[in-house]
Amino acid sequence: MRRLLNWFRRRDLESGLDRELRYHIDRRVGDLIRSGLPEKEARRQAALELGGFAQVREEVRDIWLSRWLRDFLYDLRFSARSFFNSPAFTAAVVLSLALGVGATTAIYSLVDQVLLHALPVRQPERLVLVDWMGDQAANGFGSFNLMSYPICRDLQSQDRVFEGVFCRALTTVNLSTGGEHKPAAAEIVSGTYFPVLGVGAAVGRVLGNEDDLTPGASPVVVLSYDFWKTQLGGAPDVVGRKVLVNQHPMTVVGVADPVFRGIDIGEVPSLWIPASMSAQAIPGFTGLLDRRTRWMQILARLKQGVSLAQAQAGLQPWFKTMLEEDTRRAGFPHVTAERRQRFLASTLELTPAPQGHSSLRRRLSQPLWVLLAATAVLLGLACLNVAGLFLARGSARDREMSTRLALGASRGRIARQLLADSVLLALTGGLFGVALAPLAMRTLIASLPRDAAANALQSSIDLRLLGFAFLVSAAAGILSGLAPALQAGRGPLVTSLRTRGGSAFNGVRLRKVLVTVQIALSLILVIGGLLFVKTLTGLLAKGPGFQTSRLVSFGLDPRRSGYSPAEASRLIRRVYADIQASAITQTSAVARFQLLTGGSWNNPMTIQTNRRISTDRDVNLNAVSPGFFSTLGVRIIAGRDFDDRDSRPVGEVGSRSAIVNEAFVKRYLGGRSPLGVRICQGDGPDAKPDIEVVGVVADFSYRGIREESEQAYFPIFEGDDAGGSFYVKVHGRPEQAFSSIRAIVHHADPALPVAYFRTLDEQVNRSLNTERVLAILSGAFSVLALVLSLIGLYGVMSFVVAKRTREIGIRLALGATRSSTAWLVLRDALVMIAAGTAIALPCVWALGRLVASELYGVKPTDPAMIAASALILCSTALGAALMPARRASAVDPTESLRFE
Amino acid sequence: MPSPRFPIPQGTLDMLILQILSREPAHGYGIAQRLEQISRSVVQVNQGSLYPALHRLEQKGWLQAEWKQSETGREAKFYALTRSGRKQLAVEKDSWARLSGAVQLIFEEEGRP
Repeated sequence: MRRLLNWFRRRDLESGLDRELRYHIDRRVGDLIRSGLPEKEARRQAALELGGFAQVREEVRDIWLSRWLRDFLYDLRFSARSFFNSPAFTAAVVLSLALGVGATTAIYSLVDQVLLHALPVRQPERLVLVDWMGDQAANGFGSFNLMSYPICRDLQSQDRVFEGVFCRALTTVNLSTGGEHKPAAAEIVSGTYFPVLGVGAAVGRVLGNEDDLTPGASPVVVLSYDFWKTQLGGAPDVVGRKVLVNQHPMTVVGVADPVFRGIDIGEVPSLWIPASMSAQAIPGFTGLLDRRTRWMQILARLKQGVSLAQAQAGLQPWFKTMLEEDTRRAGFPHVTAERRQRFLASTLELTPAPQGHSSLRRRLSQPLWVLLAATAVLLGLACLNVAGLFLARGSARDREMSTRLALGASRGRIARQLLADSVLLALTGGLFGVALAPLAMRTLIASLPRDAAANALQSSIDLRLLGFAFLVSAAAGILSGLAPALQAGRGPLVTSLRTRGGSAFNGVRLRKVLVTVQIALSLILVIGGLLFVKTLTGLLAKGPGFQTSRLVSFGLDPRRSGYSPAEASRLIRRVYADIQASAITQTSAVARFQLLTGGSWNNPMTIQTNRRISTDRDVNLNAVSPGFFSTLGVRIIAGRDFDDRDSRPVGEVGSRSAIVNEAFVKRYLGGRSPLGVRICQGDGPDAKPDIEVVGVVADFSYRGIREESEQAYFPIFEGDDAGGSFYVKVHGRPEQAFSSIRAIVHHADPALPVAYFRTLDEQVNRSLNTERVLAILSGAFSVLALVLSLIGLYGVMSFVVAKRTREIGIRLALGATRSSTAWLVLRDALVMIAAGTAIALPCVWALGRLVASELYGVKPTDPAMIAASALILCSTALGAALMPARRASAVDPTESLRFE
Repeated sequence: MPSPRFPIPQGTLDMLILQILSREPAHGYGIAQRLEQISRSVVQVNQGSLYPALHRLEQKGWLQAEWKQSETGREAKFYALTRSGRKQLAVEKDSWARLSGAVQLIFEEEGRP
């Protein structure tokens, strides 16, 4: 490194050395004259003794900076100068590399943050996720990998394999730090959470085991550093302050470490609440100590020296015993023998979890890898293009190279010069790419499926990312420079010096190979792009199955504002009535669960016709008010909608009627009329199917647009529903309705926050975010790829025509037709296109399986798609080859011969 | 008639320079003269290799250089030993002593009948 600095102060060093040597010579000359030599002779001898001024200087320079490096730096300078002299070439190369590097860096940053980045905790590589494989004979709520809190407690005693075990669940609470109540993301955690992760406090303390001993006894919270800074202005006296969590007073005991943002990249909590306070954090929740309630993820830290496999094997004997005990425990549900068998056959599975647990990661990992692969292909294409440009430039500079060779430059030296060229350009391109990347990242993050993701993901460039971009650009430089460097000065020296004005066919074959590979890669990207675009258009065309125009939705959750179930139920009914009566409303309804969020309430069901059957998979359930289906514009195919007959007064609970969808009828009832059939939730022997099906509705999307599922609906006003999602078909523009709706809610309770507020069009768009990102990016990539390879093809064909002008002239003079000369050129292009296609197709077949799960309504090997892509590619490629071909047919034989 | 002086062995030049500078700082010409004096008629030091050696030692951090007025009144580049240079000299002296001792021993062993 110090040596590299010498490069920049080389002028100082040189003049210093000159002074030093001159001093030496002068002194020596003086001494020699004094000893009697004439001055001329003295000078000669002094110089002789030193062994030559220039040689000493050269030797010392080698010490300052090793010769190789020095030459390379000179090469770089030379390259930079020559690039300034050909700005068009430079711009083309830098731009294509900037695009490649910028896109790759942006996508990689997301891959890194979402998929690869380890948690900022002590030894994250020893963290594992504990998951239950099999049937837990339990009910649950939450995302994935759910287990009960008592099992986490049990696992904590397994200290032969674990250093510690903790569990956590995400929820949203209404939080007030003095003023307004706002929804805030909270992580409910066991007392072991912070100690096992090894995360400390920035202020005060973190939660510990003492906060998680007795349910309801530890009203304390720890705030996130970001929340403390942004919402409380970093108040120094934060410890000891009272906050209201769902109207329950709790004391802030500390602020967590600044770098720690929870263990889920997609859901960054504002505060941590001990599991002992879960009843307060989740209104109406009483399942903390219930073994049959799955709601938390369990993570553990492996003991030093214990491998994952050892830990997993070590747990099973204990787990088997626990399962046996569980079945004898009071409260174990009455289940079928078969289900009991499944329960007893369960195992525990450990998976490495250095990045924590995230459902966002689960959802995005495949799309992100697909995109990263696509950008890598794009970068490869850009490199090939640059390599082609370099080869073209190399042919133009062939005479220069030959002259240098003739003057004694080694081939290695010239190859290095060419490599310096490409590395310099690649790094410049990389620099522009890095400058572009944050913009691309911001755009990408904004279009990700979750609001929370936008808060948690960063669009800034850190050192890690810079390192990545540097490596990518350097690799791109070397890759794109390698072919021209190897090509440099091949072929006999004499011929290339003898030919005037350029050279023979140096590098044309190599360029043809590059173009063929480019065509193959772009065909792959074009097929991919078409598949994803087709998926998106297919989903958009399918739609959610209901009319979204002028439909808005908003959510209320009064239980989080301290309402009792009965009070909450009264409030919901009152708001429902007020909305119904409002002038903005055409029709309106309320449902227990929101549509198109990816989640649902689901359960297996038992159906009683003349025989009793259980559903073979979960049915998606919802509770809705009368008018729900008409508000959504969903057709009622048979029977009736819910009405006042299905409602009960507040406080009275019990189900009497249900509506199912067409898919339900088709799957479980065959052709039979479903009206009058009795159903119920659950599939155990003690399930009592006593709810009458009173109607059948057309299918529409519940969890998401892709999914086609069996659904069943219950009346919302027959139970203790205490919150919900309102759906309002408004008159006029939806935006104008928002203020009226807000006023109605405010009138009902000024302190009640509205959980969300959006139009259904927006909701549909949101639910297709992943598909949209994939379609837009892969579409853009394939267009870019196409352009890049067409430029490559055009370039090489033009070159060939220019080089063969004389030959073509002779052919024409000898009587060849113009069309036959055009064919001469086109044939070349056709061979490349055909070879590229032949390479691409097997790749598409192999890669297709990887993306199959991201597609909808189209197979990865769909022949129509592949034919369309090949057609697009071939026609544009032929178009690009046609121009040089026409030039070939327009050659004037006399002109071309005179040219020589 | 070839000179009875033989060229200085590879690597010893550095050691000698360090040794000379361990007494007092000196400029290149001074070092050359000093080398000439102490090695008169025994070893031949090519003055051309002196400056590369000085710059190499400076690059390694064993010497530090400073432009100062010389005895003739003109500015000259004076080299002085740094702390790590002093350590290096000790190391080289030690290994030199061991090497020459060992060579001596071998000669004596072989010399016996």
